[in-house]
Amino acid sequence: MNDWTIILRSLRARLFSTVTTAALVAIAVALMLVLLMMRDAAQQAFRRGGGDMHLLVSNDQSSMVSFLNGVLYANPPRAPIAWARAQQLRQSLPLGDNGYAIPTQLGDSFMGQPVMATEPEFFSKLKPNPGEPWVFAQGKAFEADFQVVLGAQAARATGLKLGHKISLTHGTGESREGEHVHDEHKYEVVGILAPTGGPHDRAMFTSLQSTWVIHAQDRRERDAAGAHVETTAADLTDADRKVTGVYVRLATRADSDVPANLPQVFDMLRKDPSIVVASPSDEARKLLVIVGNIDIVFRAMAGVVLVSSAISIMIALYNSMEQRRRQIAVLRVLGCSRPRIFGLVLTESAVLGVLGAAAGLVVSLLGARSVVLLMKAKFGLVVHPSLSPDVAIVVAGAAVALAALAGLVPAVMAYATPVAKNLRPLA
Amino acid sequence: MSSTFQHHDDPGGKPPALSIRGLRFRYVGAVDTPADAWTIDLPSLDVARAEQVLLTGGSGTGKSTLLHLIAGLVDPAEGTVLVDGTNIHALAGAPRDRFRGSAIGMIFQTFNLLAGFSALENVLAALMFSSVPPAKHHDLAEAALSRLGITRIHATPEELSVGQQQRVAVARAVVCRPALVLADEPTASLDPENAEHAMDLVQSVCRELGAALVCVSHDPAMTSRFERREKLGALVQSTGEALAASVASIAGGSR
Repeated sequence: MNDWTIILRSLRARLFSTVTTAALVAIAVALMLVLLMMRDAAQQAFRRGGGDMHLLVSNDQSSMVSFLNGVLYANPPRAPIAWARAQQLRQSLPLGDNGYAIPTQLGDSFMGQPVMATEPEFFSKLKPNPGEPWVFAQGKAFEADFQVVLGAQAARATGLKLGHKISLTHGTGESREGEHVHDEHKYEVVGILAPTGGPHDRAMFTSLQSTWVIHAQDRRERDAAGAHVETTAADLTDADRKVTGVYVRLATRADSDVPANLPQVFDMLRKDPSIVVASPSDEARKLLVIVGNIDIVFRAMAGVVLVSSAISIMIALYNSMEQRRRQIAVLRVLGCSRPRIFGLVLTESAVLGVLGAAAGLVVSLLGARSVVLLMKAKFGLVVHPSLSPDVAIVVAGAAVALAALAGLVPAVMAYATPVAKNLRPLA
Repeated sequence: MSSTFQHHDDPGGKPPALSIRGLRFRYVGAVDTPADAWTIDLPSLDVARAEQVLLTGGSGTGKSTLLHLIAGLVDPAEGTVLVDGTNIHALAGAPRDRFRGSAIGMIFQTFNLLAGFSALENVLAALMFSSVPPAKHHDLAEAALSRLGITRIHATPEELSVGQQQRVAVARAVVCRPALVLADEPTASLDPENAEHAMDLVQSVCRELGAALVCVSHDPAMTSRFERREKLGALVQSTGEALAASVASIAGGSR
């Protein structure tokens, strides 16, 4: 028999109240931790967008727009870069053996999924996550024109399988009435990628030349006043050959991911008024600062739930005080001091916080796991939530401290309980 | 007989179990009490070690209040209460609570057992706040319950009969071997048979321990159980007269 026996018996005597108040704390802690875990996972997903590229060159209005369009597939870039300029960049940049300058073109879609036209190097050289190459769940990379590779989420969203043949839609919006479909040329699905957790999962990939051809087809039919004309790569002009971005990775040493000359190259490209250069990692950081306000709102909401749970603890203990005055009076008669009574009630309140925080930790881990499975099953998104021990300790500690704080009022009531009055026989 | 309940020899020179002098108490804000009237006005009362005293008196004469004053649960306006030679009201806060827990055992009309705690735990609760080493708690509690005939030591009060509950309350009151046991209408909730049995136990256990017993009761059947009986109103009057005589004698002597 010790103080803990008294505390645990008291909690057991009010089992329903104990369970509900601890559950409230658990929900608050779990909510807070899941939010923090998902925020970190979302930040990782943003950062993963650029893969292992160092720079993105485009002709967009700004570096942020360039990042949004060229990496996150927000909209089709408005102004292209001529193929000759892209080639020139490729030759002038210090790419070495392990760098790359991969041209990309955006502007078409299929069932709302953006289509990126690029070169086979996109799969052989660019790594969607640093250190992790592309993995094909099915099939292989495109090797010829009019072949298409699906990102994991795009495959799920469209229901396409290997061997299916499709026509692309001009524009990147959801299939709207009146949108032009490039139905003169069919693309065959030759590969489906494994999830990467980045924005490329919802894209489809094909060769640059096939995209140039379908747009040249439109041009030539316009020139022929709507008459049907067959168009092949041999019909392409220099004006047809254009890209909307170039993914650049400079030569690096084996032991470093960031080349020493990156700032100089960045400055050099920035001075060219015909292009816009963006550092995807910097833009991702800026974007996270912007969306950080939403994160603050979510955290504030979780904080409100946490404070509400503390208030519920206070109310539960406060209500129990009326029934416990006799018990307190008897304990006082037996020699228990006022400070010890105060400590018993405060500890009881903190124990509710500990129970809730412990349950919240378990629920948050299970909840995060469920969210991971749900995101993968429903959206093909791969997120990797992880719980930092420091964060877990801070959140759980805050819950316990709040719970203990909530016990102050009932503890003061217990401290001030008049003994003689509460020993009288009940009427 | 358990070693727990061995009689304490009372070596000479030890103070009485209870010694009251000039005790006055008034409930603050009591509407039916004249401003100059005391709820308790007790010039003196001494109870020797192992002595057993029955305090009687009509309703409202302050019997329970007197026990609360003796236990240090309320503070008097004037006067001193020495329990086992210690002025309990000179102690403040935790020291007073600790002293009460170890020197005074209390038995109540409604037993006041801790609900949800077993009989054993109710007795252990008394030891928990005492200076008895924790290693001895379990043995002492079991011995006390055994002495009082409680075999279902893990039963909660709700699972015990009224008589058994009272015996658990007695075990709890005496397990710390107090110098003084205060019993407030200890048989009021019991039928005559259980009341007699309970009082047999209370008195015999106090004798075994050498603990003084101050029992407050309305029950006429209790009268024959106590050699010393005091009526609270009369006690006030008689001790007041004795004190006045004593003062006059001292005054006369000085003249």
